[in-house]
Amino acid sequence: MNKLQILLLFIGFSVYAQKQLPNLSLPNLEGKSVSLKNDFSEKDKLYVFSFWATWCTPCINELDELNDVQSEWKKTLNLEVIAIATDDSRTQKRVKPLINGKGWEYKVLLDTNQDFKRALSIVNIPYTIVVKNNVIVHVQNGYVPGSENELLAKLKTL
Amino acid sequence: MKNFLFCWVLLATIPFYSQEKPEGQKINFFGGFESNSQWYLNDKTLNIAHPNVPLRSNNYLFLNLKYKNWTAGIQGESYEDQALLNYNPKFNKTDVATYFVQYKNEKIDVTAGYFYEQFGSGLLFRSWEDRSLGINNALRGGRIIFAPTTYFTLKSVYGQQRSGFDVANSDIYGVDAELELSDLLKFETTELSIGGSYVGREEKITTIANPNFNSLTNAFAGRINFTHAAFYFSAEYDYKSKDAIIEVRNQIENDFIKPGNALLLNLGYSKKGFGVDGTFRRLENMSFFSERTAKGNAYNDRIMNFVPSLTKQHHYNLANIYVYQAQPNVFLGDETVLKTGEIGGQLDVFYNIKKGTSLGGKYGTKVAFNFSNWNALGGDFYLPKKEYKTDYIGFGKKYFSDYNVEITKKWNEKWQSIFSYINQYYNKKLIEETEGLVKTNILAAEATYKFSTAKSVRFLGEHMWADSDKKNWAASTVEYNHNSKVSVFVSDMYNYGNDDTKMRNHYYNIGTAYRKNSTRIALNYGRQRGGLVCVGGVCRFVPESSGISLSLNTTF
Repeated sequence: MNKLQILLLFIGFSVYAQKQLPNLSLPNLEGKSVSLKNDFSEKDKLYVFSFWATWCTPCINELDELNDVQSEWKKTLNLEVIAIATDDSRTQKRVKPLINGKGWEYKVLLDTNQDFKRALSIVNIPYTIVVKNNVIVHVQNGYVPGSENELLAKLKTL
Repeated sequence: MKNFLFCWVLLATIPFYSQEKPEGQKINFFGGFESNSQWYLNDKTLNIAHPNVPLRSNNYLFLNLKYKNWTAGIQGESYEDQALLNYNPKFNKTDVATYFVQYKNEKIDVTAGYFYEQFGSGLLFRSWEDRSLGINNALRGGRIIFAPTTYFTLKSVYGQQRSGFDVANSDIYGVDAELELSDLLKFETTELSIGGSYVGREEKITTIANPNFNSLTNAFAGRINFTHAAFYFSAEYDYKSKDAIIEVRNQIENDFIKPGNALLLNLGYSKKGFGVDGTFRRLENMSFFSERTAKGNAYNDRIMNFVPSLTKQHHYNLANIYVYQAQPNVFLGDETVLKTGEIGGQLDVFYNIKKGTSLGGKYGTKVAFNFSNWNALGGDFYLPKKEYKTDYIGFGKKYFSDYNVEITKKWNEKWQSIFSYINQYYNKKLIEETEGLVKTNILAAEATYKFSTAKSVRFLGEHMWADSDKKNWAASTVEYNHNSKVSVFVSDMYNYGNDDTKMRNHYYNIGTAYRKNSTRIALNYGRQRGGLVCVGGVCRFVPESSGISLSLNTTF
C-alpha cells in the first residue's frame, strides 16, 4: 500500500497550477480532426463546451435551451458553444440526424471513446465548462430548467 | 478503512493546491474523485436479507500531471470493505489501479502504462472504463500513435488486459491505420476515409493436451466512411480466425472450432429539421475475450471488444425492464434454441415540425421515431454433433423488436411536455436461455413546469402492459428542482399486475442531489429492482436490494 500513498502524496502536495484543456484532438461530424488546444484559442473569447449524449434527456433540454438563446447572448458576448457528444459507437450514428432534426447550430465534436470526458474526470452528464484563453474558468455540473440564466450571469463576469 | 480515510484527507487538501494561479505556470494538475457507497438493509416485504458486509463502497481517485508535451496519470481505487453488490469480486480493497506516462506532439503520441483505445466501431477491440458497470479493461503495455501527415494515422498497441487489480494471462497485439482519402485527393465537399485493423490475442492453453486451435487468434477489420452534403455512409467488416467455441462457462470445446465475422452498415441523410439514419448489423460468433474461459462471466471481465445492443436507450424506468442484449455468441442448446449470432437493424427518424405551423405552434414540435428488430441467424444446424452452416442473409427466430415514438413539445415559457409510446417484443427464452416470451406496450408522459428562473417541477407517469412474465407495471416520478444546486425526487414502480399477489411489490425511491461547480453529492433511500443495469448497450446484472446510498463526485 505504501507505494500508493507515497505517489498520491507526491502528486497531491507538490504541484499547483491552472486548469487547462487536455492535449487532445477529436473528430467533428465530418470526420475532420479538431485540436482542443489550437482550435479554440481566440484571445478572450468564451468557449462553452457542453458534454452531452443522444440518450441524455437533461443534456438535450440544455442544448435546446442554449440553442434558443445563444444568438441573443452573442449580441453582447464573444462566445461559442461546442457540443461534445460522449456517445459511444452504440449511439454515435444518431448524433448527426438528431442535431439536424433539432435544428441545432453548434459545432459538434465526437468523444467516442470518452477520452475528453475521462481526462476531465467527468462522471455525470450534462456537464458544461467555460474556457477562456485555454484555461477552464467555470464548471457547471448538471442542468435544471433555468440553469442557463445563471450561466449567462456568470459568463458576463468572466 | 484506513486507506479509504486517507483518500478523503488527501482529497480535502487538493483544492488548496489546484486553485488558479497567475498565468505562466507551466505545470498543469487535474483530476477527479468519485465515491459510491451503499448501506444495504433487510427488507421483509421483498424477502431479502442484507449481505454479510452491509456497508460497501466503490471509490476512484484519478490524478494527472501535465508539463509541456508530457502527461502522467494515476488512478487509485478502493473497494472498502467490499465492492458494491454484484461487482467483480476481483475489485478488492485498495490499490493503484492504473497509471500512465504519455508524450504527445503534432506527429507522435507515445503512451506507456495503462491506456484506453478503440479501433473502428470497437467490434474487434475497445478498451474503456465504465465505473457504473464495473468495466475497466485498459491495456497495460505501450501504444504509439503516429500521424506523419494530416491524412494518415497509424496506431500500434501491445499489452496485457486489466482484470481486477491484476492483468489477464495473455498478450494482445494491435495495429490500426486510417487514411483520409478526401484530404489526400483534395476533395472540397466530400469526406472519404478508409481504415484497417489487426488484433491478435496470444493465450496458451495448458489444460487441453492437443488443442485443435492455435494459441494465437488473429482478427482483421476493414472500414470505409463517406459523407457528401446531407448524405453519409459507413461500413465495417470484421473477421476473427478459427477458435474453440465456449458454450458453457469454463468449457473449451476442442471439437467445435469456428471462425467469426461481423458486418456493420450505416446510411443516413440529414438536413436542418429532418434526419434519418439506418443501421444494419450481422454478427456471427463474435465474442472476444483476453482469456477464452472468461466468456460468459457476469462482470464483463476481460472483454476485448464492444458489442452493444443497437436499440434505443430509453430513459423511462419501465422501458428498461425488458432490454435487449446483443447476441454475438454460439449456443446450440436444443432444436428450439439455436444461436450463432444475430442479424437485424435499427432505423431512426428525427423531425422538427416548424414554428408557426398548426402542429408546430409557437415553439415547434420535435418528433423522434425509432424502430429496431433483431433475429437469430438462419442456417443449418446439426445436433447433437455440434456443427452449423449459417446463411449470410438468413433470419432465424426473432429475439427482439422495439417500435417507439417520442414527441417533445414546448407549450409556452412555463410548460414543456414529452409523450412516448413504446412497443416491445422480448424473446426471453432465446435471449436469456431460460423460458418465456414477453410482449409489451408502454405509454409515458412527462411534463416540466418552470416556476421562475431556476425553480421547476417535473412529473413523469408510465404504464406498461405486459402479456406474461411479471405482467403489468405502473410507475411515477416527481422531481423538484429548487434551484440549480438542489433537487429532490420521489419515485415508485409498482408491479400491480403480477399473477403472484405476494410479488406485487413497490420499488420506491426518495433522494436528493446537491450540485455546486464541479461537485455533485446525491443521497438516496429506496429499493433497487433486480435485473439488468445497462449503460451504452452493455449490461450488468444487479440483485434486488434495499438501502441507503450516497454518491459523491468532484473534479479539480
